Amino acid sequence: MTATSATFGGTRRSAPREFGSAVVTIMVKELRSRMRGRRAFIVLTVYLAILALITYGVYTVVAPNVGGGGFVGGLGQANASAVIGQSIFTVLSIFQLILVSFIAPAFTSGQISMEREKQTLDLLVSTPMRPGAIVVGKLAAALAFVVLMIVAAIPITAIVLMYGGASVDDIVRQQLVLLATALALGAIGLFYSALLKRTQSATVLTYITLLALTLGTVMIFIFWNVVMNQAEGGGFGRQDRPPEQLMYVNPMVAMLDVVSNTEPGGFGAITGMLGELRGETFNLGGEVQCDGNQCFPVDDRGNIVEVDGSSSGYWWPRISLTFVGLAVVLTLLSMRLVVPAGMRWAFSRPRRRPALISPSPGVSVDTAAEGAPTIEELAADVEPPAEEDR
Amino acid sequence: MITGTPVIETRGLVKRYGDHLAVAGIDLVVGRGEIYGLVGPNGAGKTTTMKILATLLSPSAGEAYVTGIPVDADPLEVRRRIGYMPDFYGVYDDLKVWEYLDFFARCYGVPANRRATMIGELLTIVGLEEKRNAYVEALSRGMRQRLCLAHTLVHDPALLILDEPASGLDPRARVEMREILRELRAMGKTVLVSSHILPELAEMCTGVGIIDRGRLLRSGSIHEIEQSLRATALLRIEILGDEAARIAAAEWLRTDSRVGDVLEAAPDGGGVIRLEVAFDGNTDAQADVLRTMIEAGHRVVGFNQATSDLEEIFLKVTGQTDEEAAA
Repeated sequence: MTATSATFGGTRRSAPREFGSAVVTIMVKELRSRMRGRRAFIVLTVYLAILALITYGVYTVVAPNVGGGGFVGGLGQANASAVIGQSIFTVLSIFQLILVSFIAPAFTSGQISMEREKQTLDLLVSTPMRPGAIVVGKLAAALAFVVLMIVAAIPITAIVLMYGGASVDDIVRQQLVLLATALALGAIGLFYSALLKRTQSATVLTYITLLALTLGTVMIFIFWNVVMNQAEGGGFGRQDRPPEQLMYVNPMVAMLDVVSNTEPGGFGAITGMLGELRGETFNLGGEVQCDGNQCFPVDDRGNIVEVDGSSSGYWWPRISLTFVGLAVVLTLLSMRLVVPAGMRWAFSRPRRRPALISPSPGVSVDTAAEGAPTIEELAADVEPPAEEDR
Repeated sequence: MITGTPVIETRGLVKRYGDHLAVAGIDLVVGRGEIYGLVGPNGAGKTTTMKILATLLSPSAGEAYVTGIPVDADPLEVRRRIGYMPDFYGVYDDLKVWEYLDFFARCYGVPANRRATMIGELLTIVGLEEKRNAYVEALSRGMRQRLCLAHTLVHDPALLILDEPASGLDPRARVEMREILRELRAMGKTVLVSSHILPELAEMCTGVGIIDRGRLLRSGSIHEIEQSLRATALLRIEILGDEAARIAAAEWLRTDSRVGDVLEAAPDGGGVIRLEVAFDGNTDAQADVLRTMIEAGHRVVGFNQATSDLEEIFLKVTGQTDEEAAA
């Protein structure tokens, strides 16, 4: 727990290094209190236990059906195994996303407001650390634990490699989506925490936002679609569609997109559903017909449909990038909010820096004052501070 | 007198909250090694002044310098030179005492090799050595206050700004806090300390500023302030005698032009009569009065000036502004 001591030098360091060590300082402190006691380990254990149970549950449900030619008929031994792997991967990914979506904001939505409530923020902001470092450090500390949870679940996810149906690439994509989601939702929680005085209201707003991003966007999409169709009198073929950008903030769409890649040949129920969001009407029931390694989608009557190619892989990079951007913007906003209203001036640049800077913070006043300009000289040099009221 | 750059200097410092003037033009100079006490009733502007110096608030007008650095031009540099203890603050409950200090030492960029020894030294100064591995949560109020004081010292600042460090402490903890401040003074720190109780500061402060309604009413050593008020000293005179002696003495005193008002108290069982006299004159004049009074045949058993009571100085100074305001 006493790591990173090497980052602290004796003399004044460059701004980025100073920023970095301040971030580490906050992280060390946050992780010290977070990892203390049993709580963190219980959370981690419960999380992994849930995922393991889900994996086992999916296996027990799917395995008997694929082996004896149940609802998925005509599959070879290899394909049957792949179906098990794909099912486990799908359910596991979705559950992991849901868990991460709930856990990540829980860690951040109290981080600033709690300091306000416990009146520790004043002590913190009166240190020479920049508010940005405080915010980034807090976010990093919260995400460090979430990342630990996500990474700790990799071995469970890796079980699917045994069955096939999902590749290492799929798992990497799944991890990227989980991380981007944790980052964005963590930043949302932190932003509300910096914006609002009370932790309670910050937490409530964070989860409302989470619902808006997942269910809200889908509902708006459907509603929008219905209204448009009515206006057009319910035409056929390609219609005006709600902007697909609406879905760029939906973590579930990103995860479904990742999962859809494991559907045989890249065509299935999830692919079809996601295609509909983009106005691609395959008119498919999610059934495929496989011939050796090749799988093709079939329509309602069982005919193979010729399509340009799978649209799988369209959503998740866009959504992940949106999330990273969102996190950056919210973190920047939080930086401004963490500074009490009375002292925002302190970090507004550019301001003239006086020539009176000692080489090290530990240096005594005597040496610093020697050869320094007198108060009168300085006074003549300093612009009067801006009037903030009226 | 102050030589070199003062550690604190403010000029016409003003802080306005809407229509309310929290600080109404304060000129303050505190030299190196001084322990300067800001005294004033609640809401006088002490905390606001300190927050401006601690770069937590921006002044509406005027200038403030810490070791010659303007607080609004380079707040980060100012912060490296001050240790600030707010009047209300919380502590991180879930950290151990040494971790708490280690955290703030890191915040101030204290190198790792210096941190461990420094934490030990600080805990010795504030008397928390054996609490090193205790959780902050488990500390008493007085101990937390001392821990917070220790945290202001982690970066060896030139100036300490302590806002009501003894508030809410029991008498014993107050004494301990005072001892620590004495020690800091011996270490050569400059300290700006506030209190709404003057006697609390009187013993340890080299200078005192009395502040009320955002104005610095008096500034100097306690002695200087007393002197400046001596012109209207309150004399407590005790006379041996009965009712007649009391009336005679009061009559006699009133003939003196320097005597403003005579307050007569009923004689107690022991036959000692107490008179409180508002007297306009210095110690010479007081000696004169005492001599002539005895020569006039009054049996004086007690004669002293009541201004040694710091509470009274304080009330008098703040009371004068009431009159000035009324005039």
